[in-house]
Amino acid sequence: MLSVKIIKEFADSSLSTPTHGDHVEADASGFMLNVDIYFPPGVTVLFGASGSGKTLTLKSIAGLVRPDSGMIKIGEETLFDSGQRINLPIRRRRAGYVFQHLALFPHLDALANVEFPVTHLARAERRALALDLLRKFGVGHTAQRLPRNISGGEAQRVALARALATNPRFLLLDEPLSALDEVVKLEIIGDLKKMNSEMRLPIVYVTHSRDEALALGERAYVFERGRVVAAGEPVEVFGAPVKASIARLTGVENIFDGIVISRDASGGTMVVELGESVEGVCRVEVPLGGKDAGERVTVAIRSGDILLATVRPQSVSARNILAGTVSALEERGDQTLVRVRGGVEWAASVTRLSVRELGLTVGKEVWLAFKTYSCRLFDNE
Amino acid sequence: MREIDWFPLLLSLRVAIISTFLVVGVGVSLAWVLARKRFRGREALDALVTLPLVLPPTVLGYYLLVLLGRGSPAGQLYEAVTGRSLVFTWQGAVVAASVGALPLVVKTARAAFAAVDTDLEDAARTLGKSEWEVFRRVTLPLASRGVVAAAMLAFARALGDFGATLMVAGNIPGRTQTAAVAIYDAAQSGRDALALTLVFILSAVAFVILYTTNRLTAPGQR
Repeated sequence: MLSVKIIKEFADSSLSTPTHGDHVEADASGFMLNVDIYFPPGVTVLFGASGSGKTLTLKSIAGLVRPDSGMIKIGEETLFDSGQRINLPIRRRRAGYVFQHLALFPHLDALANVEFPVTHLARAERRALALDLLRKFGVGHTAQRLPRNISGGEAQRVALARALATNPRFLLLDEPLSALDEVVKLEIIGDLKKMNSEMRLPIVYVTHSRDEALALGERAYVFERGRVVAAGEPVEVFGAPVKASIARLTGVENIFDGIVISRDASGGTMVVELGESVEGVCRVEVPLGGKDAGERVTVAIRSGDILLATVRPQSVSARNILAGTVSALEERGDQTLVRVRGGVEWAASVTRLSVRELGLTVGKEVWLAFKTYSCRLFDNE
Repeated sequence: MREIDWFPLLLSLRVAIISTFLVVGVGVSLAWVLARKRFRGREALDALVTLPLVLPPTVLGYYLLVLLGRGSPAGQLYEAVTGRSLVFTWQGAVVAASVGALPLVVKTARAAFAAVDTDLEDAARTLGKSEWEVFRRVTLPLASRGVVAAAMLAFARALGDFGATLMVAGNIPGRTQTAAVAIYDAAQSGRDALALTLVFILSAVAFVILYTTNRLTAPGQR
């Protein structure tokens, strides 16, 4: 757990808030960074326009910028504490920092770049370690190349490998994908997700791209003029309607196209029929959206929001209770993703203990239950 | 034609080589401080080390005489350690040549350091490196062309120092008479062959060095 509570003031706003074009803000007389954020393991997105304080926060955590006051801790260790006059040198913070422009050393080849943090190790040992990391990111072939001879996506991976060579306690990623094209971006998002689930370090991810925030963020903080103005799960923070393709990126497993059957404006809900007629259909109650009866809509539900029961649940507040048959069980780390066929194919994630206690096996009849407000609506594309 | 006395040229070479080492050590450190540290009086310090570039050599020589002469603390310290005076020795010529070359080294190396992306230095810090390692592994290698150019300019400048050297080291043939001083001497006394030879050699060396440093520091040469 990384905790950051800092304040820094700039008398001259030009230091931190670049103004674009010839327009200069009338109240640009000063800039104050004031943040208080806890970063648990996993990806936390800092989102905002340039000059909103995201990078400044990142640099403060790394020690490249010194806050006026506040405290920065990783676990039990204090990195910075203005009250106790603690300011751990940058090199002792063990931050895996990936700079916006990567900052690969132009005079060193990819291998030497990754070896750089561990030059104190014996030559053979650090070579092996660096090569191993490069291969892990699929860029072993760039080892002997200078950064200027490496493509953007490859350079990004070399930079990530180098950051990990420090055996960091947390990762600070400053707009790591902004310069890449969409295909490479998606590949690296995959890499980052894998890395995240393997390492479970606090990862602070600075971006001004909603797509990246939604694809990677487990939590998001929206910055404006040095302050956090919104916080929460990225889908909540960025609000509906969001394109369904983005929902797929964010790890929302249940996404179904449907047709609005009826609206209950006074109850704030509407009924949507999901699925194609081949497998049968099912009806769910979802929050009232802007669509009229007969119109198409996409409904998304996180697998973690669905409860499984072996008998029909009674006297519960969940408005959606559907019958189905277990069609598959997939291990996902500590969780098991249970696929249930009931009109459409649902995915519910439960703990392994639940799988055992409920005796969940393929072919078993189960009940699904979820709340109306667990359903999110997207514009149908 | 009488045989040419090579002593002044050899002495000049010796003075220039030693000066280059001295002035690169001091000048590169100063250049790094000026390029990377923010402090009050930074530009004043820059102006101070640049003074030798614009002051008349006699003014510089006069300062050195006062600072290094027998009556000064620095002169007395030197005499206590080495048993000799610095004034009117070839070592005095080294000091004079070094001070004259310092601005060129500081200006050139400062520009080279300033051109190194500070993000790279910050990256090295986040990767666990101390300030010295950041300098040795990142800043210096990336500024190496500029630093080499600075050293070559220092050599060229030290090789031809005249005014300050004459005032501090004097004009003692076979002891403190450097090439530049010997040219003056030879021209005054009508020994044209000697003057011409030395003039040609100094000019050629200076040209080659300037040409090389230009190529080293040209944009897009990285």
